[in-house]
Amino acid sequence: MEAELVEADIVLPMQLSFKKIQSYEKYPKGQARGRWKHLKQILQAENFQDYPPEEPNYMNIESPPSNQPCKRICDITGYEAPYVDPRTNLRYANTNVFKTVRSLSTEQVHQYLSIRNAAVVLK
Amino acid sequence: MSNIVVLDNGGGLIKAGQGGERDPVAVIPNCLYRPLSSKKFLHPSPLDTNTDIDLTSAAVRRPIDRGYLINPELQRDIWSHLFTSILHINPTSSSLLLTEAPMAIPSVQRTTDELVFEDLGFSSLYVANPQSLVHLYEASRQPDSILSQTQCSLVVDCGFSFTHAVPVVHNFTINHAIKRIDLGGKAFTNYLKELVSYRSINVMDETFLMDDAKEKLCFVSLDLLRDLRVARNQNVIKATYVLPDGLTHTKGYVKDSEAANRYLSLGEQQGSTNVGFVGQRKKADMNKNEIDLTNERFLVPETLFQPADLGMNQAGLAECIVRAVSACHSYLQPVLYQSIILTGGSTLFPQLKERLKGELRPLVPDHFDVKITTQEDPILGVWRGGSLLASSPDFESMCVTKAEYEELGSVRCRRRFFH
Repeated sequence: MEAELVEADIVLPMQLSFKKIQSYEKYPKGQARGRWKHLKQILQAENFQDYPPEEPNYMNIESPPSNQPCKRICDITGYEAPYVDPRTNLRYANTNVFKTVRSLSTEQVHQYLSIRNAAVVLK
Repeated sequence: MSNIVVLDNGGGLIKAGQGGERDPVAVIPNCLYRPLSSKKFLHPSPLDTNTDIDLTSAAVRRPIDRGYLINPELQRDIWSHLFTSILHINPTSSSLLLTEAPMAIPSVQRTTDELVFEDLGFSSLYVANPQSLVHLYEASRQPDSILSQTQCSLVVDCGFSFTHAVPVVHNFTINHAIKRIDLGGKAFTNYLKELVSYRSINVMDETFLMDDAKEKLCFVSLDLLRDLRVARNQNVIKATYVLPDGLTHTKGYVKDSEAANRYLSLGEQQGSTNVGFVGQRKKADMNKNEIDLTNERFLVPETLFQPADLGMNQAGLAECIVRAVSACHSYLQPVLYQSIILTGGSTLFPQLKERLKGELRPLVPDHFDVKITTQEDPILGVWRGGSLLASSPDFESMCVTKAEYEELGSVRCRRRFFH
């Protein structure tokens, strides 16, 4: 194709046989292609669950969770917590915190647990 | 054959130039920004030229999200600006060597091909894995090393969007062994923004400023607990970053940068100076336009080694490397541990190599050597590899031409690259 024709933009739109929807149908002339999707949406549209699990793809090359035990952190103070209260399942750092733990209402305990995704709701 | 354009299209920086040369013509941020003084989004100028645009509270638009091209329209804008006014080339008469993150999503690959062939009209395209390009470059640089004799290496690419540990053998990536951590320069900057905003001044909108502060002040701690203690008691780690005032200077800078680098001598002291008093944490002074950074300086890069600090359910860098290597054939493993290459902009944090070595040693079996090499310029490493590949005589035959694309379509053309 001559360069002038290309520049003048008067050539016919490209017809590509491998496409179901041609790009000139998808984006008519003069219409902005402003639409774009976030990566999360693209990933969802991709249906990775249908892919064979033994082949590497975006989803399964993610670094798996660590093998090392996670740090236990006091739910109230944020210090390192050597102890767990068996009644409420809250982690606590020392005896002073334990007093506060025992003074909490069930609802408050639940809220503290839900912060670290440990709240179990029995239905 | 026409000229070959090598384009390392990173999420943070585009590195672009002619194939066969040593350095890229231009390194520009891969974004459009709108400073407060402007109404339109502007194209950023190349990094080495000094401009006086005040980037305080500038809005940013990026075509790449988490490493993958999501906004082709914006990318086309940036590329056509790059090709016409910076590189001065005509796409229809040149071929393109483009990099793409490993395991790109098929629909992203399709839009990339559409962009290259239909919108810009390049005559041919080769899509390369950035990690194999790094391997190629390092192998050519040190012909006597184990790396180039065995043609195996483990490339750890810690860039803007994410971190990959990729085993490469004979310039091909071992796909089933690739591991990814969703942490990169952007996440570090965001974490630093959060920490600073919580502790002193709200800087949530100051992406460029905090980027600069991160690059100049952050470092990797060799002993986290000791450094935390030191940061609490002494001023060795404390550094002051002066914010721009908009009148005398439009860019932030580090106050007393010599003192800011004193932490590097911490290794020798080894916690012998344990001063008893606890420095009172002063309240943030809102009138002064500077911020003090203490333990933020090493807590930010620390997240790469312990992503759990950010609440991420992924293993840290050392474990990630071990998993990547263990997924390979057992004959490869000793060689891979001996030729670990660090690349990508986020590996520029001081002491990262030493820390990684210290963390890897206990995880790697005793009878394997661990050897980590850094690149002389981690940001340009991928581009240089691409330039090398583009100058090889086989390059033309590896490309997919426009005619082939129009005949076969994106998916079948992609098979040519053996990714």
